[in-house]
Amino acid sequence: MTSERLRSIGLSLLAPAIAIVLSILVTTVVIAAVGSSPGDFWSTMFEVPKPRLRVDILNQTAMIYIAAVAAAIGFRMGLFNIGLEGQYTIASFAAASFAGAAYLSGLANVAAAIIVAMAVGALWSGIAGVLKTTRGVSEVISTIMLNSIAITLVGYFLNTRGVKEGNTVHTKNLEAGSTLGGFAPFEDRDGEIWALTIIAVLVGIGFWVLLNHTRFGFDLRASGQSESAALASGINPKRMILISMMLSGAVAGLIWLPALFGGARNYGTSFQAGLGFLGIAVALLGRNRPLGMLFGALLFAFLSVKSNDLTFGTDVSPSIVQITQGVAVLAVVVTYEVVRRWRTRLEQRTVSRELAGANGATS
Amino acid sequence: MPSAVDAVQLRGIGKRFPGVIANHDVDVTIRSGTVHALIGENGAGKSTLMKILYGVQRPDEGTITIEGREVVLKSPTEAIEAGVGMVFQHFMLADNLTVLENMVLGAEKLHGIGDGARAEIRRISDRFGFDLDPDVLVEKLGVAARQRLEIAKVLYRGARIIILDEPTAVLVPQEVDALFANLDELKDAGNSVLFISHKLDEVLAIADDITVMRRGTTVGTADPATATKHELAELMVGSELPSPETEESTVTDTVQLSLADVTLTDEFGRNLLTDLSLTIRRGEVLGIAGVEGNGQSELVETIMGMRIPTAGRIHLGAEDVTNWHTRRLREAGIGYIPEDRHRHGLLLDAPLWENRILGHQTRPPSSKGIWINRRGARQDTARIVEEYDVRAPGIDTPARALSGGNQQKLIVGREMSGDPVLLIASHPTRGVDVGAQAAIWDHIKRARRAGLAVLLISADLDELIGLSDTIQVILRGRFVGTFDPSDVTPQDLGSAMTGGQAA
Repeated sequence: MTSERLRSIGLSLLAPAIAIVLSILVTTVVIAAVGSSPGDFWSTMFEVPKPRLRVDILNQTAMIYIAAVAAAIGFRMGLFNIGLEGQYTIASFAAASFAGAAYLSGLANVAAAIIVAMAVGALWSGIAGVLKTTRGVSEVISTIMLNSIAITLVGYFLNTRGVKEGNTVHTKNLEAGSTLGGFAPFEDRDGEIWALTIIAVLVGIGFWVLLNHTRFGFDLRASGQSESAALASGINPKRMILISMMLSGAVAGLIWLPALFGGARNYGTSFQAGLGFLGIAVALLGRNRPLGMLFGALLFAFLSVKSNDLTFGTDVSPSIVQITQGVAVLAVVVTYEVVRRWRTRLEQRTVSRELAGANGATS
Repeated sequence: MPSAVDAVQLRGIGKRFPGVIANHDVDVTIRSGTVHALIGENGAGKSTLMKILYGVQRPDEGTITIEGREVVLKSPTEAIEAGVGMVFQHFMLADNLTVLENMVLGAEKLHGIGDGARAEIRRISDRFGFDLDPDVLVEKLGVAARQRLEIAKVLYRGARIIILDEPTAVLVPQEVDALFANLDELKDAGNSVLFISHKLDEVLAIADDITVMRRGTTVGTADPATATKHELAELMVGSELPSPETEESTVTDTVQLSLADVTLTDEFGRNLLTDLSLTIRRGEVLGIAGVEGNGQSELVETIMGMRIPTAGRIHLGAEDVTNWHTRRLREAGIGYIPEDRHRHGLLLDAPLWENRILGHQTRPPSSKGIWINRRGARQDTARIVEEYDVRAPGIDTPARALSGGNQQKLIVGREMSGDPVLLIASHPTRGVDVGAQAAIWDHIKRARRAGLAVLLISADLDELIGLSDTIQVILRGRFVGTFDPSDVTPQDLGSAMTGGQAA
């Protein structure tokens, strides 16, 4: 059993390993093709990051990880929630507005803002859920459209209701009592790991428990594996679609909160867009597994943050890491399928071999 | 024109799947210009053999010789190039395209997609009496016309050897006669037909040669001119095959399930089920006989709460369950062995113990409150594996790796656990090996003795007659006859199933 266990772990690591090697190769070829030096690129990228960047990487990892879990909730039941981007944009704006208005003070304000963010995210993704269950609209299409609507709506409200400051506009700043400090592992000037990065830890554990230890998680996975078997087992598919879509949106609502309460203090130019799409990519890279996505989020955060160094050290554009990230995702999807088929054959062969002795009667 | 060279020679064909030998030592010779019948019970290995001949699966051993040339068929495309075409039982047609469009789809290079193709279709249609209009939408065609279109598609692609998989299963008697007339035309033009069936009357009527399969191998050939149905049946069934035997009645007076005038209408307002009424008492097995596609699946889905009837009431015990959905019905004690275990009964990539939970998510030992009880589910899976003789290396094996018979035994074990009050068994022994079949029959009989009410749907008339206390025949969504299994013959049922006569 132990050796089987080991083999199974080895097999599940095989696909991501191949993917990372492939993405390194492709990136190298692209850099060489445009006439820059791949050597410079990789030595800059693999240099140990400075303390300031290390803090930055951890903060980014947390946010990307929350986004990845949000995407994975949908993926595990066969729903493609492309709308994370819109969901967390509108949820972040709502939470920032609510917290800035200071109806409550101190930690109560933070807690209420978290609930507002989750509720708004869930409502926004719920629109796609309702459209799918009542009208049969593909969630891929509706969530993409809802992304545009969310971003436009937020822009409108920001312009009409926001605080103007010079050329920029933002929501009201949080009161001092509602900004959460963080933990500075190095010197103060290197920055803090935001307090709400703890959300990523909780979301990760929650996702694992939900999937593997609850009835809801079982229903979710069963629906994702076989819609027809799920239906025959008594799962109500429409209810599952709506619930998991809203759950995905609620988690998406949390994505930017660590930054809001950590450093940004308002929704404005400091808002970091694009985390939703990164989350989708990381969910694919980590095969929707809690631990796999953690590595994926760390890798992506590392690449994104570290690419800033390229501006100083090399003549390679920082955007090149997007190629690395993209190839990694594409390659992992393909290699995973190849490895999965190979593994199925291996399992079938093992079973027939183990049964060969005892099985004379049925043959 | 029959030529001296045989159309197809299969020699020593063998094919193994995990845990099951689907084919071994299969020898079949199809003479050119003949209709060759391949008969055998469900699970005898007929479908594997034709998949091998059509290049869907590759044999582990043996040779295929087509028109004198030995060939290796890696895909259906290569089979078609070699002159072998196949018409599946489930048609593969696009309803919203015309006959012409369906015909040229994937074969655009042969005669183009315009008038060239139209002329060729007309030629084939006239030559063999298919009566196909190239410009009619397929959705307007009836079942028999669709089947002719499928055969024409195969001819259009240049096949000279045509495999027909149980072509008469979906036809009414007049249509069967028309099909046979078409087959005669095909034969006269020098084509060869491999006709797969388990209906002995039809085989004797149309075939020039007969090969019989049993338990994965060819057990004999027969000459239709001299063979009798009895002889063929004996060859098909053999002496080792256990047959279900009716035991002493255990029927009680307590009604467990009753349907009163249940009608189910589809989205276009057509009746799928019309005024169905039935009662099953505790300890009673009610068998439903019928040609497939006459409402059996809809009946099961309605009782299981996957569809809600348009009219009529359903009672489980004293409770009105007409509007209950699947989960609530399962919790109330309905066990369900679905018709298609891969689609409705299993999560193929999940381990056996997770499959134990499927359908029982809300009940012990699978769960405690909102939590999944892993330990309980695993222990109970081990019990099922042991008691129901599921041959698997362990409960962490994915369901996909098991043979059909072992998958089915797992499902039967699962559905029998938790003391069900009613079991819906849809084709419980379809596609399983003989050993598993006997075991499943035993489990159903034992459950019946213990007071379980069973609704049994099967295409195997012997199974129905052997296990049931009462048999209802369903035709186009209505019950058309009630039979007592102790004095009914498969022939009687057969004629009621096709609308010949009602009792």
